[in-house]
Amino acid sequence: MNLDSITVESIRDSLRERKYICDRSLATVVYLSVRLGKPILLEGEAGVGKTEIAKVLADVLQTRLIRLQCYEGLDSNTALYEWNYPKQMLRIKLEEIGSRDRESVETEIFSEDYLISRPLLDAIRTDGAEPPVLLIDEIDRADMEFEAFLLEVLSDFQISIPEVGTIRADKRPYVFLTSNRTREIHDALKRRCLYHWIEYPTFDKEYEIIMTKYPEVQKVMAEQICAFMQQVRQMNFYKRPGVAETLDWASALLLLNRAELDPEIVKETVGCVFKYREDLHHLEEELSGDKLDMDRILKEPATVVGGNAQ
Amino acid sequence: MARELNEEDIVRAVERYKPLRGQGTLANTLMFGRVLKDLGFRMGLSQVIDANRSMPLIDIRSRPDFHRALAANMLHDHEDIELFDQVFEAFWQGDAEIEDGIETMEVPAQSPDEALESSDDSGGTVEETLAEQEGAGDDSPMDPDPLMVPTYSPNEQLNEKDFSEMGIEESRAVTQAILLIASKIATQVSRRKKRARRGTEIDPRGTMRRNIKYGGELVELVARKRRIKKTRVVLLCDVSGSMDCYSRFLIQFMYGLQNELWGVETFVFSTTLSRITHLIRTKNIGNALEKISKSVLGWSGGTNIGRSLEIFNRDFAVSMVTHRTVVVVISDGWDRGDVGVLERQMQALKRRCGKIIWLNPLLASENYEPLCKGMQAALPYLDLFLSAHNANSLVHLGHTMRRLVA
Repeated sequence: MNLDSITVESIRDSLRERKYICDRSLATVVYLSVRLGKPILLEGEAGVGKTEIAKVLADVLQTRLIRLQCYEGLDSNTALYEWNYPKQMLRIKLEEIGSRDRESVETEIFSEDYLISRPLLDAIRTDGAEPPVLLIDEIDRADMEFEAFLLEVLSDFQISIPEVGTIRADKRPYVFLTSNRTREIHDALKRRCLYHWIEYPTFDKEYEIIMTKYPEVQKVMAEQICAFMQQVRQMNFYKRPGVAETLDWASALLLLNRAELDPEIVKETVGCVFKYREDLHHLEEELSGDKLDMDRILKEPATVVGGNAQ
Repeated sequence: MARELNEEDIVRAVERYKPLRGQGTLANTLMFGRVLKDLGFRMGLSQVIDANRSMPLIDIRSRPDFHRALAANMLHDHEDIELFDQVFEAFWQGDAEIEDGIETMEVPAQSPDEALESSDDSGGTVEETLAEQEGAGDDSPMDPDPLMVPTYSPNEQLNEKDFSEMGIEESRAVTQAILLIASKIATQVSRRKKRARRGTEIDPRGTMRRNIKYGGELVELVARKRRIKKTRVVLLCDVSGSMDCYSRFLIQFMYGLQNELWGVETFVFSTTLSRITHLIRTKNIGNALEKISKSVLGWSGGTNIGRSLEIFNRDFAVSMVTHRTVVVVISDGWDRGDVGVLERQMQALKRRCGKIIWLNPLLASENYEPLCKGMQAALPYLDLFLSAHNANSLVHLGHTMRRLVA
């Protein structure tokens, strides 16, 4: 894709071609990010497609996707680079037999051959190729220290390795950060980024997503699934189901050759939607209560009030 | 940014900058940034600049696109979206002004520096603005010195004062302090964790050192050890009627701790147990409290500690509690349930978890003795029995937790 000719529409359409349904506001933010060279911080509930958009965009831009999954205790050795110690030691041992002078050995074992490149260094060292999409996933799981370190990398897009020198990105990678908000991201990092909150999809959007991913799903059932999802997202579950769950459910129902939902099959397959015992329990209560109007969901799914669950 | 702003505040902030507004998008975007800053948004010049860089890239005549471009650059929290939208509507009234902006974008009426300077006297920093809001009508002076760790005190007297005796103004000050204490404690905890060595791989430095005795030959390899299990903190807070005057503060403390620290699970109980971890995963504590009291059954009602523990042991302990977990129970021990059940459940919990800390707000009063049956039944299984009736006791609790968790 030619970067100079991209527009908000072209981004939205090419994402759509690759089966990622996104609204104009997300497309605008992605567009701005590509043009401004600024990272995007995506927040939203689990399973609304935060990670997916980075993957799809890499495909659109026809470039590599480099993914850095964050976890507690992630440090710069794992994220940036590390010296290949065993290889260095072996080299030293081998050199003991030979008679080369110490200095040349030293320069050698601290050359790039002995450097193990980790995702961040990978993303910056493009060697003239198209800049990759760098996905820093679930940043909220990493420690605060790592965040501070990331701040440094994301502001200059350069990395200094004392023994080798400074490596600078000739073209900035397209950076996506995602967070599930298990804790707050530091303000300084947020300021470096464009921010976008991905909502749960509306009824229509979710319907479109199902029909795009699984065109063989019967229309009635797709509507019923969406109506069910819209309703339960407005209730107080521990983990509200995301789009990922919707799609799992749809594909499970397809496997079972279902053309329509009925109360029985909902009970049998609801494990696709709720993954916590307390939530399953809660659902049972709701099903027997009157808040979850199954009749209406099954018979007139299109009339179930959509809108974004907050 | 837990702020409650009404329309008047917004209109006032917008009005304040009206005389300074110039022609063109640049000048106006700058002013828009100032208004947001005044209203408590964290705003730096770089964001305003980037917002301006975005303008030529989008179709500025499309109001939704214009809105999105500003929001992407200037908004950083989905909880502020609503407020941002209100300010946006109030500030950018009518498409005419925006369109007007494109024509004259190159010639802002005022240079950016000028505009910033001239607005400084009326503006003030974010901190000042926040302090003004917090301290409105408040006689007790707030001293937000972030370096005092974590004995931060809004006021010495308040630190010692029992939560149950506080008025609204005092409780507001203490709430601030509690959140700060919680965040300080949490940061220190996480720093300690960081020092744990990573990975089940060779530790070159350790290996070198170990092998000096063999004259530098590599004979033994030293591996780094990974911390396998994460220490978790589970908070169980009594919200029954007898705890009313304390539970609000304690939940705020839990909220502060949980938002800063990874691996904290929070529950409240009265006659039954509810998990509220997900409810307090939000920035706005006011909303959170409201959400909790709405969704929790038996708030301010009777107490059945035994049954609540039973539910916890049955449904949650399996996946949440390991021998490293610290379980903190916050309750006055007044129990209307079966003492036998309570005792059995305490025993079961004790077998499974690392430490049980019981916080009892009544412990502080001089003539308190744990006479009520519930408390007596629980006592043998406790590792620590502490008070939690004022801010100082929370600081103390913080230190203790740090020792246990780190």
